[in-house]
Amino acid sequence: MDKSIFLTVLAAGLFSWGGASPVLAQSPRPPGEVRAADFPNDAGDAVRVEWELSPDDQPQPAERLVVAYEILRREAGEEAFTRIGEETYQTRSFKDDGCTPGASYFYQVVALGPDGARSPAAAAGSPVTPVMQYFDFSQFWFGVILLIVGGSVIYFIQLARSGRELKVRPIAGLEAVDEAVGRATEMGRPCLYVPGILDINDMQTLAGVTVLSRVAGLTAEFDARLDVPTCRSLVMTACRETVEAAYLGAGRPDAFNEDSVYYLTDEQFGYVAGVTGKMLRERPAACFYMGAFFAESLILAETGNAVGAIQVAGTAMPSQLPFFVAACDYTLIGEELFAASAYLSGESHQLGSLKGQDVGKVLGGTLVVVGCLLSTAAVLTDAALLNQVLSYLTDHVLGNQGW
Amino acid sequence: MKQIDPDSVNVILATDCGSTTTKAILIRKVDGEYRQTHRGEAPTTVEEPAADVTLGVVNAVAEVAEMAGRRLIDDAGRILRPASGGEGCDLYISTSSAGGGLQMMVAGVVREMTAASAKRAALGAGAIVMDVLASNDRRLPHEQIHRIRELRPDMVLISGGTDGGTTRHVVQMAELIAPARPQPRFGAEYRMPVIFAGNRDAAPLVEQTFDESVQLSIVPNLRPVLERENLGPARDKIHDLFLEHVMAHAPGYDRLIRWTDAPIMPTPGAVGNILQRIAQQQRINVVGVDIGGATTDVFSVFDGTFNRTVSANLGMSYSISNVCAEATLPSILRWVHLEMEEGELRNHVKNKMIRPTTIPQTRESLFFEQAVAREALRLAYDQHKQFATTLKGVQQQRTVGDTFSQEASGQTLVDNMKLDLLVGSGGVLSHAPLMQQTAALLVDAFQPEGITWLAKDSIFMMPHLGVLAQVHPEAALQVFRRDCLISLGTCVAPRGTGAWGSPAFRYAISGGGLEEEGALSFGEIKRLPLGLGASARIVVEPARKVDAGAGPGRPLEGELRGGTVGVLLDARGRPLALPDDREACRKAMAQWVRDLDLVPPVPA
Amino acid sequence: MAHAYTPGLKVSPRTRYRCRRILPIKGEVLVRTGQQVDSRDVVAQTFMPGNITPVNVANLLSLPPADVPECMLKEPGMRVEAGEALARTKGIFGMFKSECKARVSGTIESISQVTGQVILRGEPIPVRVLAYLAGRVVEEIPGEGVVLESEATFIQGIFGIGGEAFGPVRMVCRNEKEELTAERLDEGMKGAVVVGGSRMTGEAVRKAFRIGISALVSGGMDDADLRQILGYDLGVAVTGSEPVATTLIITEGFGRIAMARKTFRLLASREGAPASVNGATQIRAGVQRPEIVIPSPAGDAGEVDAARTAGLLEVGTPVRVIRDPHFGMIGVVSGLPAEPRVLGSGSRARVLEVRLESGRRLVVPRANVELIEA
Repeated sequence: MDKSIFLTVLAAGLFSWGGASPVLAQSPRPPGEVRAADFPNDAGDAVRVEWELSPDDQPQPAERLVVAYEILRREAGEEAFTRIGEETYQTRSFKDDGCTPGASYFYQVVALGPDGARSPAAAAGSPVTPVMQYFDFSQFWFGVILLIVGGSVIYFIQLARSGRELKVRPIAGLEAVDEAVGRATEMGRPCLYVPGILDINDMQTLAGVTVLSRVAGLTAEFDARLDVPTCRSLVMTACRETVEAAYLGAGRPDAFNEDSVYYLTDEQFGYVAGVTGKMLRERPAACFYMGAFFAESLILAETGNAVGAIQVAGTAMPSQLPFFVAACDYTLIGEELFAASAYLSGESHQLGSLKGQDVGKVLGGTLVVVGCLLSTAAVLTDAALLNQVLSYLTDHVLGNQGW
Repeated sequence: MKQIDPDSVNVILATDCGSTTTKAILIRKVDGEYRQTHRGEAPTTVEEPAADVTLGVVNAVAEVAEMAGRRLIDDAGRILRPASGGEGCDLYISTSSAGGGLQMMVAGVVREMTAASAKRAALGAGAIVMDVLASNDRRLPHEQIHRIRELRPDMVLISGGTDGGTTRHVVQMAELIAPARPQPRFGAEYRMPVIFAGNRDAAPLVEQTFDESVQLSIVPNLRPVLERENLGPARDKIHDLFLEHVMAHAPGYDRLIRWTDAPIMPTPGAVGNILQRIAQQQRINVVGVDIGGATTDVFSVFDGTFNRTVSANLGMSYSISNVCAEATLPSILRWVHLEMEEGELRNHVKNKMIRPTTIPQTRESLFFEQAVAREALRLAYDQHKQFATTLKGVQQQRTVGDTFSQEASGQTLVDNMKLDLLVGSGGVLSHAPLMQQTAALLVDAFQPEGITWLAKDSIFMMPHLGVLAQVHPEAALQVFRRDCLISLGTCVAPRGTGAWGSPAFRYAISGGGLEEEGALSFGEIKRLPLGLGASARIVVEPARKVDAGAGPGRPLEGELRGGTVGVLLDARGRPLALPDDREACRKAMAQWVRDLDLVPPVPA
Repeated sequence: MAHAYTPGLKVSPRTRYRCRRILPIKGEVLVRTGQQVDSRDVVAQTFMPGNITPVNVANLLSLPPADVPECMLKEPGMRVEAGEALARTKGIFGMFKSECKARVSGTIESISQVTGQVILRGEPIPVRVLAYLAGRVVEEIPGEGVVLESEATFIQGIFGIGGEAFGPVRMVCRNEKEELTAERLDEGMKGAVVVGGSRMTGEAVRKAFRIGISALVSGGMDDADLRQILGYDLGVAVTGSEPVATTLIITEGFGRIAMARKTFRLLASREGAPASVNGATQIRAGVQRPEIVIPSPAGDAGEVDAARTAGLLEVGTPVRVIRDPHFGMIGVVSGLPAEPRVLGSGSRARVLEVRLESGRRLVVPRANVELIEA
């Protein structure tokens, strides 16, 4: 729609380039029938006003006689019409969103010529009362997609609870955790776990803590040393709880040492300096980086590599992933980090939501592919049907034009 | 060991003292080449009433002497050496697995790392590993101690920690073993030999932990760094202690040890030795299997790495019932093309277990026994694949290109596509009435891919040759090639599956008296004769997505070796999936039995 | 060249039976050479060192392992009771001391400076060896055990489960072909060694467990029943330690197979006599078979047959076929062809000819027969 306006303006501009002589001001003829109706799918505070164009408002006139439409409104009980807005020429509708639900309004539309000439007002026949709708049907498709994704999450959770095996692709990085901790045990060196540099409210930190519980469970089982420096106090508390629970779960509460999880500093590079310093001194044989990382990713990973550790990283920061992939033995990429907790815990609700989200991803992917194919075909063949389907897809299914 | 001049050796005598029979072979230099000429056997005499292993050896050698018409035993009942004229032999060697062989317990820190390396060292030395203790074997200390007490190993191997690595875990392990006082099987006066092959920093601490009741030997770490194994010193030590302690306490062995020109080796250790040499010399990948009554040994050499596993309870007589329990009867029956009644079979299996020496008299029981053998071999090979892996705990090198293909370490080394030679031995394989049955058993159980040469060890000569290879490798390799292996033929089987009846591959064979061309569909198998000693060229053009060894859909040219069976063109698909439906499976099997000629002719 | 292949099981009405009763570790022998003992008498006993429990004091008290010895309240060799303090930290200025308590009673075996572990050894476990056989002590092995001897009726079974058991012999079948079913068992057989004819049914075994019968002896049983009784499929024939209330012994094999007539009659002739049975079976190199030993009354003079270790296979030797398709059939050797023959399976093997009682002649591989005593 915007495109057509643009073209019209452009065309008008080109044609008017002819340099026609100025014409004396003269009032344009009024617009045709004016209709006002309640705006659908809203809270009852808007009215849509529509009119037929003034006969003087031609798409490509030699001379522009109508330059705008003025919209006037009068609430029932008031005396005079007040101006509430203006639309440019070739426009047929206006949304008045300054209404009070339940009040009645009368509307008028006036065509404006150049030099301020006004046409007689055309009025809407009957008053209109905006009302509130309980459902916003413009979001119909959004609802459908939500139902599919949400429904499949519930479905898969039920499936998992009923004892069905839900297959989750093995994630090499998580499988390697055993190996890394084993290496640290054999070499008599500690395992280092870095939970990222963001606070506990970040999803990545939370996802990382799940992996920590796995790592801690293994260090308890292997009786290896664990070292968790944090750069946020809350993360430290959360990590301590997690590690303690993991040691308890492994049946080794006596091996848990609270001081293995400690706070360094909130300062990004202060923290990094602290961690790398410790790495050089203690030479951990296994390093885990799970959470949100920024510029420090490569510093940490390279130091770990230099001290000969098996390193497993996981982050959803796209900019840091290449560094981790290159410098670490195994990397959990983006989603894998979030999938890790489902993968590790094997709990039915986590596995179910993982599977359900996959359905959403498949749906999204399908729409992208179908859309690409359709629009390519539409451009190449210019078939009307394809264009209709495409516009339905963009305006209705993905847009907010409802059913 | 005394020095031997290889050129002056003309007559070699070798014995293998098994748990039931002692086998002797005679090797002579004929026209400048070493050949195995005679063999003999006699019951092993380790147990009461004889209780002297040398009696059995002398009996077996006497049988050889009688057949060869050569005096090998002197009047005092000793082996006559050196050879002079028509008497005696130049070299006498022996292996032993009598009295249950060498039974060991191993311990390490992490089950998948040093404990696995220790297990490899013990198995490679020819031992049976009774249990593996590790800090992460999920057993509580008292359970581990209970286990140590209950087992009566001949020897204990402790490893753990890289050099400079953990000492705490290693000492902890020693602290568990020391007070548990493992009791050896033989003799009350015998001090339990314990080998420590772990972190060198921990050695003095381990020494303090053990008291006089054990005989502790310290050898270099078998896993000095996680990236590398150094199993040699530990293996050698095991062999030494096997001779010094275990053997010395078995009846008659002190004499046998004095007789031999090379140290007595545990039988499986010797087999591993010869296979390793063959693989190394010919640069091929080899899998060898020995299926016995109680156990099945699988040996493999892939890219120069040797591995051995013993599946202690997979066998054809004592353990037959266990094979049925592990594989389940329906999966055994997949391999039988005849109708059989389950309840009756179960009773038959148990009766074989309690009377292990019986042999199948009817065709039905033969096919059933061979079906059990397929499953036993398959399970043993599966165990082998799980054990023969790359080292765990190794740092990986990555590039950004590996983003989506991160492979974990500890992958199996066994790759059926790379396998060049598959050797089978053991009763059910060597005594099958038809050679093609042996070949079918090997192909069904191991499912070799690509082009694989199949052979069987004619009279289980590999142990003798393994020891011989230590003192006279040239003679050992010559005999191995000439007399030990009986070539069955070559199996050609591309990797990939497809709907049965859809095209699998085309082939063109020329040479060795064969000019054949044709195509096979999935689910088919074909046998072409190609005699012993003959060879032919084959060009395989696999269907799309099917890999004959050159990559999916790419044609492959290769060499076929002839044998008593010939060439097997196997298009049944890899992995081989049999129909789930019993009736469909029986029909498919019946077809293959016809194609391969597996039914012996009716005796007159 | 007539080797006995499978020597067969010993079934002897009267033999000099010797058994060694040895402690697993050194201990005390309670009887003397020449003494008469009853089957339930204890002949030797000892105490096994108790189970050990490691306590990681270093971790429990957050101490470096090297500091553990100086914090210990007990020395190696001292006794501790469960709940008693083992070690106490020095604390800061005498305050904030923490303690670590023993969770089990026992003696302190060792204290490690490397791992910070204290090894506690629990109470000694008594180990007793019963006489098993009513008889006379003929040899005393100092510190280890004794050798007992008795003249006894001795019957070997082919397979059994469960360990040693004792009780009077009770026959419940009229002949060796009758099945041992649940109906034949009643409460009065508690503690007895019950002998049946052919197959023992699964139901009978379960009833025997309920009643508390010492042992069931019969010709055969079905594998399916065995699997149900044990709860798993028996893989390897190494038995003796199954937790079953009744020791089970089969004398012939699996399936519906009658007990050898000789065995049945022999057992019937000793009805009421106290028997010692052992179900332990080990079929490996060095075979152990289950056995039923019934000591003969003293002074009952009878001929004592010598132990036969290996028999000879000759024409006229009674044998039993031990492999399908003729499993269980009994006859005498009627021919020993020297040349190997091709069997139905296609294999070549040395065979022999058996003449059955019915007069039928069979050709079977030599490996598939066992010698039986006529």
